Amino acid sequence: MPNYRICGLSVSSELTLPGAVPLALPAGDADVAVRYGRVPEALPQPSASGPTWQMEGETLLLRVPRLARFLIAMGRDITVELEPGATEHDASAFVLGTSFGILLHQRGALVLHGAAVAKDGRAIAICGVSGAGKSTLAAALCRDGLEFVTDDLCVVGLDAQGRPIVYPDGRQLKLWRESIDRLDLAAAQGQPVRATFEKYFIEPSTSAATAPHLTAIYILREAGPTLKEGIESLTLPDAIRRLDYEAYRPGLRAKIGQKPQMLAQAATLLGHTKMFQLVRPVDFKILATTVTALRAHWDSL
Amino acid sequence: MTMSAEPGIVWLASFLKSGNTWFRIFLANLAAGERGPVDINNLDERVNIASSRHEFEAATMLDSGLLSDDDIDDLRARVYQCAAGNAGDLRWVKVHDAYTYTAAGEPLLGRDTARAAVYLVRDPRDVAVSLAHHLNTTIDAAIKLMNAADGALGQRGKGLASQLRQKLLGWSGHVTSWLDQTDVAVHMVRYEDLRADPAAGFGAALRFAQMPATAAEIDRAIRHADFAELQRQESEKGFAERTSRTAPFFRSGRAGGWREVLTAEQAAAIEECHGPLMNRLGYPTDARSNCYVPATALNGAH
Repeated sequence: MPNYRICGLSVSSELTLPGAVPLALPAGDADVAVRYGRVPEALPQPSASGPTWQMEGETLLLRVPRLARFLIAMGRDITVELEPGATEHDASAFVLGTSFGILLHQRGALVLHGAAVAKDGRAIAICGVSGAGKSTLAAALCRDGLEFVTDDLCVVGLDAQGRPIVYPDGRQLKLWRESIDRLDLAAAQGQPVRATFEKYFIEPSTSAATAPHLTAIYILREAGPTLKEGIESLTLPDAIRRLDYEAYRPGLRAKIGQKPQMLAQAATLLGHTKMFQLVRPVDFKILATTVTALRAHWDSL
Repeated sequence: MTMSAEPGIVWLASFLKSGNTWFRIFLANLAAGERGPVDINNLDERVNIASSRHEFEAATMLDSGLLSDDDIDDLRARVYQCAAGNAGDLRWVKVHDAYTYTAAGEPLLGRDTARAAVYLVRDPRDVAVSLAHHLNTTIDAAIKLMNAADGALGQRGKGLASQLRQKLLGWSGHVTSWLDQTDVAVHMVRYEDLRADPAAGFGAALRFAQMPATAAEIDRAIRHADFAELQRQESEKGFAERTSRTAPFFRSGRAGGWREVLTAEQAAAIEECHGPLMNRLGYPTDARSNCYVPATALNGAH
C-alpha cells in the first residue's frame, strides 16, 4: 500500500494519490488510513447536513454525485466507495482536497484555504477565494527563489515555543493551463488533477523540508472601483473576521462544535502573525510586479 | 415592518442590466428605514447572488474547479433546497441564470425553494448599450451575447470566474424561460414602468412577494434609492460592483437612450432576433415609435 505525508500527517492509502509525495513508512504506523469500503447512502441520525454531506458525531459523509461517497471519521479514517463508472484518479482529487480538509478539521487543526511559501525557515500564507490567484502567485514566488510549502490546504500548528508554523503539504502545486503557460512551467507539469480538467500538478523546484514559522498572511483581492492597489495591514477585529472567512470551508468547524478552539487558535496565531490585504489587478502582465512588491513588503516586516 | 412568517426564497431574476441592482438597493433601503440612504458599497443586504462560487463551495464543501459546469448545475438544485429549508424568513436572492433544468430534469434553482419570483425586464436595445459598458466590450459583441440562444456567463475558460457558469440563453430565451415556467409564481416588472412609477412598481412586487410594507416606507426607500443619490455616492466613493473601465455603473438609467447610441443596423439586429417577444412585452419594434405600450394595455404578457 502506498504511503504519503500530507499536511504533516503520515497517510497509508489504498488509492493512489497523484500529486502526493510518497513516504517510506512501516505498515500500521500511519496517522491516517484511506481505504476502499462500503459507504452508506445516508447516515442514520445526522446532527447537521448540507447539499452534499451529512454529519453525525465525529463522522462526516460526503457525496459527490456520479463520482464517489466518502466517509471521513474521527480525524483518522477515510473510506471511499466509487460510484459506478467512476475512476480512482477522479476520486483521489476529492480525497486530497475536501476529504482531507474535513479530516484536518476533525483533528482540531487550524486550516486556511491558501498556499504557503518560505525562505530561511520563515513562511507566508497566501489566502483568498477560489480563483483569486493563490496558486499562481505561489508558483511565481517559487520561480523567484522561494521554497514551496503548501497549496490549497494550509495547516497551521505550533512549535514547542508556541509559535505558529506551517506544515509542508506533501502535495504538489495545482495550476490551471493558462498559469502553466504564462509561468513557463510546462516542463514541471505532471498529471491532471482530474482527468479531462485543464488543471495540473506541478513539481515544485524546491520544497521546504521542515515546517517553517508563519510570519505573515496575505489575503489576495482583486483591485476594483472601491478597492485600491496596495498592501494594507488589517486591524485585529478585521483579521479575526477574515481568518474565519479564509478558513478551509468556513462554518464547518463551528458545526463540529469547535468554535472555542477556533477563537483560541486565532488569538494565538494573531499574537505572532500579521495579516494583510494584498490588492492588485488580476492580470498576468503585472504578476512580476506583485512578486517584487510582496517580497519587499515581507522583507520590511 | 414585519416579515412574513412564510419561509422561502424570492428570486429577483433578470437578464443583465435590467434594473436588478437598483431593485436590490431599494430593498436594502426598505430594510434600513429611516437609517437610510444606505451606503451602496455596504448594502448589508440579505440578497446574495445565486451563482456565487464562494457560497456554492461553502455549502457543498467541494472544490468547484474540480467539477464540470453540468455537475455544478446538478448540485445547485440541492444547494437551494438546503438553503430554503434553513431560511427563517423571506430572503431575496438575485439571479441572472435563465430558468433551466438539469440533465435529471430538476429545476436548476431547486423545486419548491421559492415562494415567488420577481422578473425584471427591460427594452433589449437599452440593455445592449448598458451591457457593452458593463462587459467592457463593443455594442456588437453585447448584441451577439444577447442574440446567442446558447449564451452563458462565467464559462470555464482557463481559470475560474468568481461566479459559476450561468446559462443566459439569449435575451428572448432568458425572458421566456422565466415567464413560461410553471414551477414558481412569477411577477414581471418592466424596468420602464418601474422608472415611470416606482411606487406602483415596487409596491406591486412587494405585495406579490408577500412582503408587507407601508406606502410611506416604500416612498422613503424609493427616495433613498433615487438615481441622483446613487450617482452622487458613486461619484464620491465609487461602486464596488462597477465592472466598466470607463463608464460609471449608474449612468442615466434612462428608458429609450438607445436611440442616441445604436446604429440602425444594431437596432435591427436586436429587433430581428427578438421582435416577437419585444412586441409581446410592449417594446414596439418600429424604431420610429417613441412611446412604450403601457403595462395595463398588455394582454398575455403576465
